[in-house]
Amino acid sequence: MIELLARHSPGLPEWLTLCVVLYSIGLYGLLTRRNAIAMLMAVEIMLNAAALNFVVFDRFSTNQQADGQVMALFVIVMAAAEIVVGMAIVVALYRMRGTVDINQMNSMRG
Amino acid sequence: MSIIIPEIIVLATAFAILIADLFMNERTRVYLAPAAVAGLLLALAVMVVHTPASGALIGGRFTMDAAGWWFKILFMISALIAVLLSMDTLDGRARVRVRGMGFRGEYYSILLFSVVGMMFLVSARDLATLFVSLELATLPLFVLAAWRRDDPKSGEAGLKYVVLGALASAFIVYGFGILYGLTQSTDLETIAQRLAGERAPAFWLAAALVLAGAGFKLTIVPFHMWAADVYQGAPTPVTAYLSVGSKAAGLAFAFQVFYRIFGDALPHWDMLIAIFAALTMTLGNLVAIVQHDIKRFMAFSAISQAGYFLLGFLGAAEEGVPAMLFYLLVYIFSNLAVFACIIWFENETGKGQIEDYRGLSLSNPLMALGMTLALFSLAGIPPLSGFVGKFFLFSIASKAGFHGLVAVAAVNSTISLYYYLRVVRQMYIEPVDERVPAPGSSVSIGLSLALLSVPVAILGILPTVYEGIHAATIAWLASMPQG
Repeated sequence: MIELLARHSPGLPEWLTLCVVLYSIGLYGLLTRRNAIAMLMAVEIMLNAAALNFVVFDRFSTNQQADGQVMALFVIVMAAAEIVVGMAIVVALYRMRGTVDINQMNSMRG
Repeated sequence: MSIIIPEIIVLATAFAILIADLFMNERTRVYLAPAAVAGLLLALAVMVVHTPASGALIGGRFTMDAAGWWFKILFMISALIAVLLSMDTLDGRARVRVRGMGFRGEYYSILLFSVVGMMFLVSARDLATLFVSLELATLPLFVLAAWRRDDPKSGEAGLKYVVLGALASAFIVYGFGILYGLTQSTDLETIAQRLAGERAPAFWLAAALVLAGAGFKLTIVPFHMWAADVYQGAPTPVTAYLSVGSKAAGLAFAFQVFYRIFGDALPHWDMLIAIFAALTMTLGNLVAIVQHDIKRFMAFSAISQAGYFLLGFLGAAEEGVPAMLFYLLVYIFSNLAVFACIIWFENETGKGQIEDYRGLSLSNPLMALGMTLALFSLAGIPPLSGFVGKFFLFSIASKAGFHGLVAVAAVNSTISLYYYLRVVRQMYIEPVDERVPAPGSSVSIGLSLALLSVPVAILGILPTVYEGIHAATIAWLASMPQG
């Protein structure tokens, strides 16, 4: 088994497929979940898929500058910042309304 | 080194306010807003007097050019006016107090952080700086939209904004990742060079993702759905800043994307841009007609204005760039003037429906006049500046051969005149049936309205401003990489 895996080590297409799959899971979760925290988690998966995308391209690129790794670090930091803001808002909303169900967020109508 | 000084001044002001806030009591915190104004004025002065219109720092990752110079001036002016408009609400000088609007130190510093993000955004020449500065510009806006902790509407606006904003960021950063994979570089100039002639499917995917993200920031239909709820739910001074600051940052980001990254492919996307422009202005206008809440009404008005901006991307850059910058200038002044009246009216009466403005021309003729002037400018009535700005944009679309689109835009202008006049009609024509107490006056809001009304009225008549922008962008284009 280990030999089989060693002979078929994943290449660029496999890694990119992983990124796309992760990204799609995140997008699907964002569109179907009705819980605000679950939606933030889905967005987090999408952002991490994007960060992984940078790492993968960096690993398989011919230049030795590690730009992609640096970019992935920035993406991780910004994703964390975004989730911090999002969670703070969710907590504040929960205190006011006692629910984080997105279907009940319809107090404004045109 | 001198090209980064305005950013450093604004950033230092933001941190100084944040720290000073710790050592102040409620009574002395009224000086925080003047401090923010002073910092912004100093940065503006340094920008105008001292900063050269070209230069590069940090190995070319932070550069200055003429279009960026104009953008930064516009960002600082919007922030300056936004601080002036926020003062009354935050200091509790409003007759109808809004609960939960305190925390002045945090408010002004977060506002200034967002300005710094926008200023770095136009100077970024690297995917990393571009992405981080875009986030620095938008994250504070999420916080500001949810500012009122005891108002469910404000929290709801913040939640919708943060979820959809993060989604847009995910689109943009995934698109950037593919661009990096295609070109193996994070430098925008290198990316543009290596993308020249590239038409692989991955290129289209990256372009679609990045453009969707830019469309979200600019509120282009179908990426506009956050705008109405966020504008309506956010505290009104924040809405004022959001409607101009976020739009200006969106346009700056679109400039980076269209002219720097995809400059080579832009001429082939004419049809697509034309369709998006037509959709955006038509939908924004049609929905604005039936609105009753003035902030929601302004949200749809802002969406339709975004459609007019898109016309500028249709023609050659040497005509489109100055026209878009000029219209952005006009839009910022006109929209902030309208919001000055909305904020003042809400502070004095606590009301925000269009019908509540009934009889304003009698109780406060000057405010009603200022608001009418700004609304007419947004509708594009000659000789106000909005007309001239729209005229330049329409003529670009016409020169590019999109006569049908110009017809759509002209019809939309007429529709927009109808709903802008609805507000004017309430103020001037509708009979006053009840004896409402006359709203008081406010120094800071009156001052900002006076400062805004003058350019709204005369920018279109004075040719110097447009010629200045035009000359600056010609120099800017000469410095562009020829992909």
